[in-house]
Amino acid sequence: MCFAQSHIQPVDVSFKQKQVASGKIAAWIALIIELGSEGDQAMTLSIKTLIRSACALAAATVWGTSMAQAQDTLAQVKQKGTLTVGIKNDYKPWGFLDPSGKIVGLEIDLANSIAQKIGVSKVELVPVTAANRMEFLNQGRIDLVIATMGDTEARRKVVGMVEPNYYAGATNILSPKSANLKNWSDLKGRKVCAVQGAYYNRRVTEMYSPELVVYPAVPDALNALQGGNCIAFLFDDTLIVSTLSGGDPKWANYEMPLNSEDPQLWAIGVRLADLNGPFGQLVKDMSVDWHKSGYLLELEKKWGIKQSPYLIETNKKLKGN
Amino acid sequence: MKALPPNSLPVLLTPTRPALEPLPAFTTFVQSRALAIILVGGFILSCGISAALSAGATQPQPSILDVLLKWAPLIGGGFLFNIAVSIASMAIGTLSGVLLGLGQISPSRPIAKISWFLTQFFRNSPWLVLLFFVMFLLPFELKLGSLTLPLPAWFKAIIGLALPVMANVAEIVRGGIKSIPFSQWESAESLAFSRRQILWQIILPQAFKRMIPPWMNLYAILTMATTLISVVGIQDSMTLTKAALVAEGRLDLYLPFYTMLLLMFFAYCYPIARLTQSLERRVAVKF
Amino acid sequence: MMEPIARWFKWLSSTHGLNYSVFFDNYDQTLFLKGLQTTIFLSLACIFLSIMVGLIGAWLQGSRLRAARIGTAMFVQFFRNTPPLVQLAFFYYAVSSLLPTLTDQFGAQAPIINNLGWAIISFSLFAGAFNIEIFRSGIEAVPTAMTEAAESLGYTRFQIYRIVVVPIAFRICLPSLGNNLVNLVKTTTLAYAIGVPELLYASAQIWSEAMNVREMMVLLLITYVALVAVLVGLMQRWERSLRIPGYIA
Repeated sequence: MCFAQSHIQPVDVSFKQKQVASGKIAAWIALIIELGSEGDQAMTLSIKTLIRSACALAAATVWGTSMAQAQDTLAQVKQKGTLTVGIKNDYKPWGFLDPSGKIVGLEIDLANSIAQKIGVSKVELVPVTAANRMEFLNQGRIDLVIATMGDTEARRKVVGMVEPNYYAGATNILSPKSANLKNWSDLKGRKVCAVQGAYYNRRVTEMYSPELVVYPAVPDALNALQGGNCIAFLFDDTLIVSTLSGGDPKWANYEMPLNSEDPQLWAIGVRLADLNGPFGQLVKDMSVDWHKSGYLLELEKKWGIKQSPYLIETNKKLKGN
Repeated sequence: MKALPPNSLPVLLTPTRPALEPLPAFTTFVQSRALAIILVGGFILSCGISAALSAGATQPQPSILDVLLKWAPLIGGGFLFNIAVSIASMAIGTLSGVLLGLGQISPSRPIAKISWFLTQFFRNSPWLVLLFFVMFLLPFELKLGSLTLPLPAWFKAIIGLALPVMANVAEIVRGGIKSIPFSQWESAESLAFSRRQILWQIILPQAFKRMIPPWMNLYAILTMATTLISVVGIQDSMTLTKAALVAEGRLDLYLPFYTMLLLMFFAYCYPIARLTQSLERRVAVKF
Repeated sequence: MMEPIARWFKWLSSTHGLNYSVFFDNYDQTLFLKGLQTTIFLSLACIFLSIMVGLIGAWLQGSRLRAARIGTAMFVQFFRNTPPLVQLAFFYYAVSSLLPTLTDQFGAQAPIINNLGWAIISFSLFAGAFNIEIFRSGIEAVPTAMTEAAESLGYTRFQIYRIVVVPIAFRICLPSLGNNLVNLVKTTTLAYAIGVPELLYASAQIWSEAMNVREMMVLLLITYVALVAVLVGLMQRWERSLRIPGYIA
């Protein structure tokens, strides 16, 4: 009967011991609740219930996933009829607000495309920040993250990164032309705006020792940059390029003066338990499809993003197969 | 202090201390209208300053008022969301706070001690940290047997704000009860009232009146604190203001936009503050 | 002395998954301690300045000039009835953009006041508005006979204020002042929103790197409650030491 739980994906046991503990507790609670719900029939407690609970307990102990996460997200989404996606609302043109208050952007298109594939009509968009998106995902607040998330080794321990990656960015700065920055080392001792939770903050601090001023969200940092509170804004080069190429007069006196560093693939994030499950598989297939069909290149054009070599390369590679 | 008729003033004394005169600025309605007028004036002035600054712009751009009007409905909607959050948090915080406050005067030592500890803990933690705490550490849904209660982010934010409200309400309740002279408890006891009867029929009805002004004051503080939810990533009027400013990207808009947001809150909280003051005065007269 | 503590927390991290990296990771520790330092500095600066604002405001409220009284009243009402977070953004983004800029040591244009400076100004004005009200009620509670006695001794209005009214009123309003200052210390967390590297900021940096939100939250709450407890303790001692025997309880 334990095989009924077969969609639980084995997770590296060493990954987080406290999750094992919480999984165990969850299983015990489930057992107690199930025993309690028998009510008057408690005396004739069915053996089936007992075994099922024991299985759950064993599964949780061995695999260290909590009960909530053990369920198949794909089935859940279908049942709810809603796909809940963590997206950015401050990252033009990937995810941003238009004046009517609606969130639009390239990543929102991707989210809609996944929902369409699953066959649900409703997509709930949950704005996330770099600092909270992985928490939201693992807590189950959202089903997947499409929020300009860099695919790093450290993060792979916490969330499932869907391959092939849908985009690639690197680190650069946006600064006023008058700042006259030429090299990364010019940042030493200067005030540089950044956003809480970005993976490159620590690396850049350690390598070039700027005085980093970190804000909760992108608008705060952009407001600060425009107000002259810092000399540059440290961010993904893709956002900077698309900001500058938008032809917006407000950015006319700004530039991206340095060579992009530390190339980073972006990935859609799912829960680790889903990565090799039906849900993860579906998203992976979609991602392959987007690359192959040129959908991503199309979207790039639609949202006015400068052509990324990564997308062209991946498109060629997958088509060749 | 009463002003003496002018002819009775001793010649050598300068007029008495004006510091003690009741301050007209706080008491008359006319003054409050003046306040409003001046604030609206300040708003127009802030637009004016910004307009003057942007006059040198090379490109023709829409006027500040046009831009403001374009975004005002969206930001106003966000503000209504702030109000909704404040009402919900106040309701939850008040209910739990009353329990906690009564728990503090419970005859049972452990209950009183635990209630005291909880009150002190939540009262002395920063609101923003409590909000972070709840946002990150509460699960997204509660499973009670077969029943699954989803906990969306806005609901968690309400809980996060309700925690400090709870502790403050508990303190108000305890303070209100303590403000009634202890002799009343003793005399009621001697008339063979039970503890519950004393509390509900004698003490609380009197204490209630004294609790209302600080409770309203707390509500105003809570309403202003609802902007904190923007820091943990929930879209409220503050988030929308910032998003609008980024979308427009014009430095001259900062002043009018933030002034507008400040005045929205002022327009809501100031009447509450005045009402609190007048109630306070009335309660003070009655006792 | 720190070594066994570090070792114990390391052990806790590896065996129980409770990652209190602040106690054994050098980078995180420096970040946290610097944050604590900034929070303490920010709090002290704001406490001092807000008391100044309160004293000046309370004095202006007793002024014979109608304009001064109304101006102070407006200031108090405005800062009491608008969200401190929006005030902070208002100063940092809006007011700052109107001020002239300075040339920094790199030859670039930098604002005159940085984010820490604006946080201090903004919180001092916010708490100061409350302090004005607190001091005013304290001043009103000073017995009239006392000031009249001072007047009859030929003191000027400023002298009466400085020598008689303020010392007495200060003792009367110390408890509510203490309350407000505790609030002020808690309010300093808002500086996080404009990137001032205070305690909450440092903690957020740490937890987004080390993925230890739970542990950092617990540590943060304990640290703030401890900070507030120290402040409350100091205020109580101060109250006791300022007490005039037989006059004010």
